[in-house]
Amino acid sequence: MRPRTPSQWVKVLASAGMWIAIGVSAVQVPVSGSRPWVAAACIMAFAVVSSAAALSGRLSSRRRGGSLSGRGRDDDDGPSGEAAHRWHTLAVVSRLMPSSAGRRWLAEAESVLAETTAARRGAAVRSYLLSAPRLVVMMWARQILRRAHPGPRRPG
Amino acid sequence: MALRLTVQVQLVLQALLGDPAREMYGLELSEETGLQPGTAYPILLRLEHEGWVASRWEDVDPRVEKRPARRYYRLTAGGAAAASAALSGARRPKGTALRRLAAEGGTE
Repeated sequence: MRPRTPSQWVKVLASAGMWIAIGVSAVQVPVSGSRPWVAAACIMAFAVVSSAAALSGRLSSRRRGGSLSGRGRDDDDGPSGEAAHRWHTLAVVSRLMPSSAGRRWLAEAESVLAETTAARRGAAVRSYLLSAPRLVVMMWARQILRRAHPGPRRPG
Repeated sequence: MALRLTVQVQLVLQALLGDPAREMYGLELSEETGLQPGTAYPILLRLEHEGWVASRWEDVDPRVEKRPARRYYRLTAGGAAAASAALSGARRPKGTALRRLAAEGGTE
C-alpha cells in the first residue's frame, strides 16, 4: 500500500533506513571491523524514528476515527471507526453465504445502512450481524436442496 | 417449508398489505414495522421464496442519487391474498407485545 500521510512516509523511510543500516553493518563490520557503534547507533536511530512515526500515525488515526479499512477520513462520507469495522465484518460475513446470496445480502445491507441515520446505524449493523448465522444456514440449506432437486430458478 | 407466522412476519405482512400495489424498500419497511432492518431481511427473503413477495433493484445511478440503489419489495397477487387469509386466521399480537418488540428492534 502506498503511504498517504507524512507520518506513514516517515515510518516507511525510517524502516527502510533501518534495514539498510542492518544490511550494511552485517557486511561491513565483520570485514573491516571498523566502528561497529556507528552502525548500531544508525539502526537504533532509524528504529526509534520508525516506531515514533507508527505511533503518531496510529494516534491521529484514532483521533479522527480511522480504521484498518482506510475509511473514516475527514473528507470521506463512509463509516468511521467502529462503524467501519462493522462494515468490514459485514463483508466478511457475506462471504460465508453462497456467493450470489452473500452479494445480495451485502448490497441490501449497504443500501439500507447508507440511508440510516448515524444514531441508528450501529443497531442496524448489529441486527444484520445477529441475523447472519441463521441466514447462512438457511442459504446453504436452500443451495444444497436446489442442487439436489433442480427445479425452476428462485431468487436469492 | 411452511411459513411460520411469527409476530415479526405478521408485522411485515401488515406493512406490505397497507397498500399491496406499493413497493417498499428495506429501510421504509423497517421504519413502518419497528423491526431492525437485519431482522426484516430474512423475513422478506422467506416471503420471497414462498412466492408471496417479489423484489427488484431500483434502476438508478448511485452517483447521481448519491446513495446506493434500493431493493424494493411488494406483495404478489397471490401473496396479497395468502397474506390476508393468513393474517385473518392468525392470533393478533397484543399491543404491549408489539411495543416491546419495537423497542427491542424486533430481534427474532
